[in-house]
Amino acid sequence: MKPNKVLVVDDSKLLHRMFEMMLRQYPIVHAYDGREALERLAEAEHRDVDLILLDMNMPRMNGLEFLAAVKGKPETAHIPVVIVTTEGKEADTERGIKAGASAYVKKPFRNEELSTVIASLTLGVKR
Amino acid sequence: MSAQDPQQLAAEVQGATVRANLVLQELQAALERASSLAGSLQQTKASRGGSGQTQPQMEELTRRLADLESDRSELSSRLAEFEQQTGRLMNLYVATYQLHATLDPQEVQSTIGEIAVNLLGAERYALLFWKSEGNRCEIALSQDLQHDRSNIFQNGIYAGGDPAVDATLADGVLRIGPIEGSEALAVVPLTVQGTTVGALVILKLFDHKEKLRPDDRDLLDLLAAHAASALFAARVYSTTDRKLKTLESLVKLVRRG
Repeated sequence: MKPNKVLVVDDSKLLHRMFEMMLRQYPIVHAYDGREALERLAEAEHRDVDLILLDMNMPRMNGLEFLAAVKGKPETAHIPVVIVTTEGKEADTERGIKAGASAYVKKPFRNEELSTVIASLTLGVKR
Repeated sequence: MSAQDPQQLAAEVQGATVRANLVLQELQAALERASSLAGSLQQTKASRGGSGQTQPQMEELTRRLADLESDRSELSSRLAEFEQQTGRLMNLYVATYQLHATLDPQEVQSTIGEIAVNLLGAERYALLFWKSEGNRCEIALSQDLQHDRSNIFQNGIYAGGDPAVDATLADGVLRIGPIEGSEALAVVPLTVQGTTVGALVILKLFDHKEKLRPDDRDLLDLLAAHAASALFAARVYSTTDRKLKTLESLVKLVRRG
């Protein structure tokens, strides 16, 4: 089973390109900060996003603020969020999971590591 | 797209990995079913008092199961290697693509920084370029240099002092630490047509990345080969574009006059 759409929220164009390559089988919605990502999620054409890959350090609205906003809205609270960040301390991981993230992957990541996480979260998602 | 297109190639490799993974999962499931069948056969045999007739069949079945298990294990380790290779190729492709995706010098510099941070795991780095006059390098881009205790990267200038950095700036050879007397973990020469125009100095990795791995070497080589030429092309374009716009404005003024 595959997710309908994956929302990538990261201020690095390199990472967007990387996710495009890795997740070729999924349509991807791009956002470069938290605020833009919220705008994308509010658009009717992107209501079928069912996985979010989220960076932490971004301009305008950071990852934790975005996560709080997503988990605070009933219409988006169910979407699994994978934090993909360079912040690798145990406290960072705990903070992310406590805020509602489903998984926490540290950059630089091995592609197979992220693929496994995504596969485990998207099993059972109907297309 | 031609068969040689790297993007297509990477996609094909990735597709093959996914398919191989599925085959492996099916094999694993079949093996588990066979193993369970063998278990129940064994139980039946035991409950019937161990008929001598079924013994050779059981032995044959057990031998074939062991062969299958060994094949599965080998396939599994080959698949893991294959996945690693795919990931490595993808990183190289994306890094190269992104370096040459723009003609904006600032954006090329940012990409070099993003490769250092996101793909290599550099927490602290400095991107150096020789200044046109004097024997010093400007720090074009950096991260976390305020925590560098060596004090050789000061006020946006590197004036020498680290033996590995100085050596690479002089001979254009990639150096990977530890290097005696140097804080640098890696010094990547940035060369254009055989001339070293600067260096990327990696000073510290994130705590969760213990050390540079052997496959990071490919990325460092790629940066050495592509970063400077991409930046040089972008700068040339930017200068030419600026001059062209100035000339166009002048022509407009002359026409109006």
